[in-house]
Amino acid sequence: MADSIALAAGAVESAVASGAGEAEATLTVVERFSVEARDREVTTLEQSTGRSLTLRVFVDGKKAMLATSDLSRDGLRKFARETVEAARHVANDPYAGLPEAQAFSGDGSALEMYAADVRERPNEAKIDDALGLEALARAYDPRIVNSGGSHVVDVVATITLANSKGFHGSYRGTQVTRDSAPIAQDGASKRVAHYGSAARGYASVEAVDSIARTAARRAVDMCGARKPQTTRCPVIFERDIAALVLSDVFSALNAANVAVGNSFLIGKGGHKIGSGLVTIFDDGRLAGGLGSAPFDSEGVPTRRTVVFRDGVLETFLYDTYYGRKLGAASTGNASSGGVGPTNFYLQAGTASLAALVESTARGVLIVDTIGFSTESVTGTYSRGARGFMIENGELSYPIDEFTIAGNVVEMLAGIDAVANDLRFDGSVVSPSFRVAEMTVSGT
Amino acid sequence: MHLDAAAFEKILTDALGAGEYADAFYERRVNRSFRLQDGKIHEAGLVVSRGVGIRALSGECTGYAYSDDLSEEALLHAARVAALIARDRAAKVSIVRIVGEPAQAHSVYDAADELSANGQSATYVDLLARADVAARAYDPRVRAVNATLSEESQEVVVATSEGRYVRDRRPLVSLAVQSVAHGAARGTGMFGDGGRTDIGYFTRRSPEEIARESARIACVNTEAIEAPAGEMEVVVGAGSGGVLLHEAVGHGLEGDFNRQGRSLYSGRVGERVASDLVTIFDDGNLAGERGSLAIDDEGTPGQHKVLVENGILRGYMQDRLNAGLMGAESTGSGRRQSFRTPPLPRMCNTYMPDGASTYDEIIASVKKGVFAKSFAGGQVEISKGDFVFMLAEGYLIEDGKLSAPIRGATLIGNGPDVMTRVVMVGNDTRFAGRSYTCGKSGQYVPVGVGMPTVKIASVTVGGSSLG
Repeated sequence: MADSIALAAGAVESAVASGAGEAEATLTVVERFSVEARDREVTTLEQSTGRSLTLRVFVDGKKAMLATSDLSRDGLRKFARETVEAARHVANDPYAGLPEAQAFSGDGSALEMYAADVRERPNEAKIDDALGLEALARAYDPRIVNSGGSHVVDVVATITLANSKGFHGSYRGTQVTRDSAPIAQDGASKRVAHYGSAARGYASVEAVDSIARTAARRAVDMCGARKPQTTRCPVIFERDIAALVLSDVFSALNAANVAVGNSFLIGKGGHKIGSGLVTIFDDGRLAGGLGSAPFDSEGVPTRRTVVFRDGVLETFLYDTYYGRKLGAASTGNASSGGVGPTNFYLQAGTASLAALVESTARGVLIVDTIGFSTESVTGTYSRGARGFMIENGELSYPIDEFTIAGNVVEMLAGIDAVANDLRFDGSVVSPSFRVAEMTVSGT
Repeated sequence: MHLDAAAFEKILTDALGAGEYADAFYERRVNRSFRLQDGKIHEAGLVVSRGVGIRALSGECTGYAYSDDLSEEALLHAARVAALIARDRAAKVSIVRIVGEPAQAHSVYDAADELSANGQSATYVDLLARADVAARAYDPRVRAVNATLSEESQEVVVATSEGRYVRDRRPLVSLAVQSVAHGAARGTGMFGDGGRTDIGYFTRRSPEEIARESARIACVNTEAIEAPAGEMEVVVGAGSGGVLLHEAVGHGLEGDFNRQGRSLYSGRVGERVASDLVTIFDDGNLAGERGSLAIDDEGTPGQHKVLVENGILRGYMQDRLNAGLMGAESTGSGRRQSFRTPPLPRMCNTYMPDGASTYDEIIASVKKGVFAKSFAGGQVEISKGDFVFMLAEGYLIEDGKLSAPIRGATLIGNGPDVMTRVVMVGNDTRFAGRSYTCGKSGQYVPVGVGMPTVKIASVTVGGSSLG
């Protein structure tokens, strides 16, 4: 720890000695273990500790940033000097600079970011987890005949931040991911499903058998899927896919996008955008949350922000720079030179996903999407999808090779049911929800 | 530790352990960039990535470790961690010998041998300012311009337990311009160019041209109407239409998916997988193209590969691991994002050569459909073969003529289905603006795509208009 602070502080000193008025350095040390298994074999085993440093420098309101894995004394000095030189070619910007001096106390232990079992669990047990995912997925159904691999990955990350205003702080966090991608033989066709979950430690991450069963069930359930007819109907987004929609909402709330005209929510602050069910938080203080941290990448304390309340857009999300530029305070969302989510989520409802399906006379349930383009300035949304046709409140048959389309603003307004299945296994998460009407394009 | 032949020999001896093969990949990559927004240079960036990735292979198993600390202790520790994978295997007699200096790969890059290490900042800034002025001057509706210029130099050295010892120095530049225009609605246009070349490229391909193309697309998109929904005839535009090949066919022909029987193209070499109008190449040797590689990240020279010839599947793209297990040769397709990740079989520059039809003939042949002029990207699920490609600029076609521009929509199809429905191929093959990056297993590498104008008899267009 003392070494890390000395290294970060040394990088700040190098930048100041080269002519930077202000500087900030972050040292990230990542210990990563990863195992992949296919069938009864361990196919890949990786273990490394990586160190990298980011340095932000400000020279008379001009900024430049360095990211380097060369932490040698000479390397750091040379590249710090080059970064300061590069900054001299940047335009002067009155908003550029470090945040006001922050008082930091404590190591964030109340946020439950560190699970000791990540380091304590023997590699053999982690390898057995991966082999277990494969074996249990295959045992689920005779149609599971192949696999894209099962993975167990864990990380211990230590972040140390120092700046020229005297801030220094450090914290550490862990993360464990288990996932599996079984393949079901469906006549001449193959159906792959991918399912996984993450948490801070082995004690809290979803169990091996549960992940294997869910992944295998998803592959088998898609057997016999057909292409639906083109129509307009209600669309239910299953939890993990709902979270991807929330990612598009986050992008539009990101002040870095708002400032350059790249958001479909520009000018909509204070307006009712979503249905009354749309209450969205960004909570950097959530105990055990994968996006939690005591302070953001500039040392500003994280906080809990109400972003949407009952459908009304309350605030965009800012770092220090874009806050100053757009006339707001930082919301503690600085993230490696930009603006990022902490734990960004839609508030859960009370009904189960099954109840949402039961209350849908005719519609589709989306369990997977493919593609990633949402028009940033208009919110036009279109994705490849697969899932199930819903008829009379029941899942009637699997469907694939179709698209769903709409507009993210209209989708937020159209959310008419939210399920109770929220869990915090990512930085952007959501319970399942239903949008009253979208276009399904198939045959 | 000074990374000479003796050092690599020591590392590889430890990494090999009881395994069959080991290699070490040294990388030093320096990327310099400037970003423009609001008409001003907003930020400068410098990224330095330096370290050694060490791999041990034993049967189907890969052991991998990397170190960004170049001390002997750290590198040998990484070598021994990589070797763990092979510990239960029967040892093969193997003595690692690395001698002399690494052989310099024959360059396929369009750049000066020694990239300027420094002092180009004024040039970068000037190019960005010119792009900004040109985009705004194109049309008063252009309200915001964001642009990024980057230049990179990647030095690699590959040493293997079989005695291969080679080096390469890879340049890469890109200028990407995004314009936002305000008209009937807001529209964005994104366009980029560059390649495995140096900053001098932009004296031949002016930043003004690149910026104006971005501004033009943004202005078109202010007038765009909702895209239609349903199956229809689709004409895929020359250039970035190559995204279709990359997704519908390319990924499914990567060696790992085929060795493992996960691809819908597994075991189908020699079979018909597309209409007889379809020929697809992947090439690592195209001068200056974004996906070109003199040697891949395992030290194998880049190659020209015939993937599909007149509709018949001819071969896969292989890295060392998968080629070895399938009894084939590597095709120079082993690529990795950085020293932190093991290589995977990947595409380089994937393209379709000229056919016989003209662009005009193709458009004129469509009664009612969509012209997908350019694409923002795509994605594929390789087991069943369903893939999507996302429109960046598109138009309705009515009675053989282009009509209204349409909003960004996703098109979806199944690889072999769609390739069998290719009914016309244009004589206007060209490469897309050099700006595409391909993601696989979390690893991102630069690639090229090329395509003539192509007509597909039926594809599902994912708009929201049922009109």
